[in-house]
Amino acid sequence: MSHSHKPGESGADLPHAAPTVEEITDFEVLEIAVRELAIEHGLFTAEDHRRFTEWTESIGPAAGSRLVAKAWTDPAFKARVLDDAVKACKEIGIDWAEPTGFGTPSDYMNLRVLEDTPTLHHVIVCTLCSCYPRPLLGMSPEWYRTTNYRRRLVRWPRQVLAEFGLIIPPEVEVRVEDSNQKCRFMVMPMRPEGTDSWTEEQLAEIVTRDCMIGVALPRPGRTADVHPVHKARHPVQE
Amino acid sequence: MSIKSDVDASRIELLEALRNKKEKTWDVLAPQYGVTNPNPPWKTSLAAMCDCLADSGKLPSLDRRNAEDKLAESVYRDVPAPERQLLALVHIMLNRGLVDESDLAARMRAVRSRLESA
Repeated sequence: MSHSHKPGESGADLPHAAPTVEEITDFEVLEIAVRELAIEHGLFTAEDHRRFTEWTESIGPAAGSRLVAKAWTDPAFKARVLDDAVKACKEIGIDWAEPTGFGTPSDYMNLRVLEDTPTLHHVIVCTLCSCYPRPLLGMSPEWYRTTNYRRRLVRWPRQVLAEFGLIIPPEVEVRVEDSNQKCRFMVMPMRPEGTDSWTEEQLAEIVTRDCMIGVALPRPGRTADVHPVHKARHPVQE
Repeated sequence: MSIKSDVDASRIELLEALRNKKEKTWDVLAPQYGVTNPNPPWKTSLAAMCDCLADSGKLPSLDRRNAEDKLAESVYRDVPAPERQLLALVHIMLNRGLVDESDLAARMRAVRSRLESA
């Protein structure tokens, strides 16, 4: 049975979330129009676009979570991850050569996994643009791409991490790894206490995207990255 | 960190009309329809288009990102994220002559007509 949602109805009152809005916006129209012209002008083909769309929809942070969880439970696999991460990714079904056979133009096939220790915490950034290990973590969060994060993390890492709610003790070194056009990075956080008897699947649930960027730490019970939005105290008056 | 890009940040009439439609951005529209998906349906297609343009060498990723940064801090600074990325990409493509503004305006009319007839 289908049902419709009209503007003004409360989503909380409805039995199911609507799949999408029921109006055609100019933004949707613009995206289709420019894509069609690009294909007609030979900038790329419809098949290229379909292939990259399929790939984009197939990626997400679950792959990275699996990689970390497996490394926590399998020392030999962990050693392979730290030695050649791109090669080790194939063991969990992630091939960095997809979807073109040579990777994507934005994901260079050179990954280093950074292992946290009791005295060293890693966090990744791309000060130049927004380089990110997409085959393992999916599309980067919006805040990762902001100039605010990119500029400030390298200068004041502890303060920026504190803004994510992560306080690193002074005795722990914080190392910011700047991604670049030739190399991607991902953080392997330390396995938290209280997880000794956990399965890989259970462990993977607490290795969230933010833990692999380095702005959060895994812990039992924390299975999602939630960033509350704070309203401005003094909003711009139109 | 200064943003190095040769993109012309002058306002583009066609895109200005969209920039001013703040009541139609996804963050405003989605809650009105009870939609919980944080991204509009065209977001993945937009990401794929960026990859395609980079893959074909028509618009390298670094050029695009630098231009996006410059536009995000100027012309489109008051537009939410996915719409801002779309407007910036089209702005860059118009700027580089990869598409023509009047062609795009005509195609937008044709696309809307097609979608509304379905």
